[in-house]
Amino acid sequence: MALIDVADLAFRFPRAKELVLDGITLSIEAGERVAILAPNAAGKTTLARWLSGLLPEGVLTAERGHVAMAGKPFAEWSVAERATAIQFVGQVPSQQLTGCAFTVYEEIAFGPCNLALPEAEVRARVDEALTICNLRHLAERDPFTLSGGETQRLSIAAALAMKPRVLVLDEPTSNLDPESRDDLLAQLDLLPGGLTIIVLEVALRPSLALAKRFLLLDQGRIVADGTASEVLNDPRCIETLGMTAVTEAAFRLREAGRWPDATLLPLTLNEALDSFGAPRAHG
Amino acid sequence: MLTVDDVTFAYAPGAPVLSDVTFHVPPGQVVAIVGRNGAGKSTLLRLLNGLYQPATGAIVVNGNATSDTPVHLLARSIGTVFQAPEQQIFNAKVVDEIAFGPKQLGLTGKALDERVGAVLERIGLAGEAETHPLDIDASARRMVAIGSVLAMQPPVLLLDEAQRGLDKAAIDRLAKIIADEKARGTTVLLVCHDMDFVARNADRVLGLARGRLAADLSTEGFFTDAALTAAIGVEVPDMVSLSAALGLAPALSPERFAAAWMARNEA
Repeated sequence: MALIDVADLAFRFPRAKELVLDGITLSIEAGERVAILAPNAAGKTTLARWLSGLLPEGVLTAERGHVAMAGKPFAEWSVAERATAIQFVGQVPSQQLTGCAFTVYEEIAFGPCNLALPEAEVRARVDEALTICNLRHLAERDPFTLSGGETQRLSIAAALAMKPRVLVLDEPTSNLDPESRDDLLAQLDLLPGGLTIIVLEVALRPSLALAKRFLLLDQGRIVADGTASEVLNDPRCIETLGMTAVTEAAFRLREAGRWPDATLLPLTLNEALDSFGAPRAHG
Repeated sequence: MLTVDDVTFAYAPGAPVLSDVTFHVPPGQVVAIVGRNGAGKSTLLRLLNGLYQPATGAIVVNGNATSDTPVHLLARSIGTVFQAPEQQIFNAKVVDEIAFGPKQLGLTGKALDERVGAVLERIGLAGEAETHPLDIDASARRMVAIGSVLAMQPPVLLLDEAQRGLDKAAIDRLAKIIADEKARGTTVLLVCHDMDFVARNADRVLGLARGRLAADLSTEGFFTDAALTAAIGVEVPDMVSLSAALGLAPALSPERFAAAWMARNEA
């Protein structure tokens, strides 16, 4: 049994004509690092909410199918159970702040405190999250005075402090400068292997360093599922997501019959340098 | 046009966020403001549009000093698309959101309709005019925020991470909007973490490091200075690195790289 099972999920918002999700079937194993790529309006954030157990809620129910975690449909999970099993970090980090914490430290402690954990355990969790998200120097700051990137790191830290089995991140690095992004991805990589990470992105490049498996979501359906190069070479992916700059350069040269490697299009700078026989860049 | 003269700003005494920042941007230039998280980029935008006042120094936008022009009057000269469009949208229909600004300028009737209609076309939402802005996807919502500012036709346009979360089609649309604004003489400032977007769209780069202006160069000059990009903490676009590794002139886009490579290997 996979950790998360999505079985023929179909969903539409009340009064909407079109289905947002149309027959999604998908299994994610414990410890997997998955990127779900999608153009705008493909149903990306809605799928993220289903995968996180934030849906179904009230009148927002599936037209058919369901999502189950560890064999139990999310509809049967209590909020407290769900919050310790899976955490969702949305696209607008400032909307995720509790509004009742005066410092970054308190903001991160909010979730664990609500689990009524012993103080020492709360402090240990906050400490760990401060380190992973490089926020220690900002621990005493008012959360509402942070920059966009700092707020994004804080929202991820608060999620990590819940020690979830699954972390669902909707465009997690879009606000981060490259050093912060690489630090965060490296720290996430160091986390115990059991943590499942699902990232949702509109472009291929940001998730290349983290994910091993890539899915392409288009018009509410999963249309590709594989490694980065498999998904990239899928024409539907090129059409909807475009290409990385490196890939596009190679594509233009290949169209002109001038690309040195006629078969593979490079995804990264180093792959492109290899194709030209030039030495690899650092990093 | 925009003049920033020796500006210093701090949220808390003794901890300046910006120090001694000076630059001038002429009409029709697209300038990217880059730097690490917390470098002061968004703070600088809030000084330019008058939401904050500098502690020392002066800012003049289109002939108006921000120190003695009320924010609502300054808004005729400088339009801001903030990071989170949800925080600047407040009407119940897309069309009303776009029309709100021009109405405040006194536009009515046919002139208003024409201006709103043209903006809806530019942002690709002519078919969603009657939709609630919160019932469309996040990228379209960002386009609504952009449209609401374009409808004011400000001579200075500030875009704070406007490219974030946009897919290829929407990025292309935004690039077209920026190019069109440049062509009609608008001064455009982009705060942007996406260096590929900067390379393709900006004429010039201002690099902030620890609140100081550490770089003020042409886009090409900036990205080919490895020590400077490292000090400011931004990535060199892959096209610039690839062209340098192959001994080509720096290319800022795949098109230009491919053209330069083919030209050299023609012989």
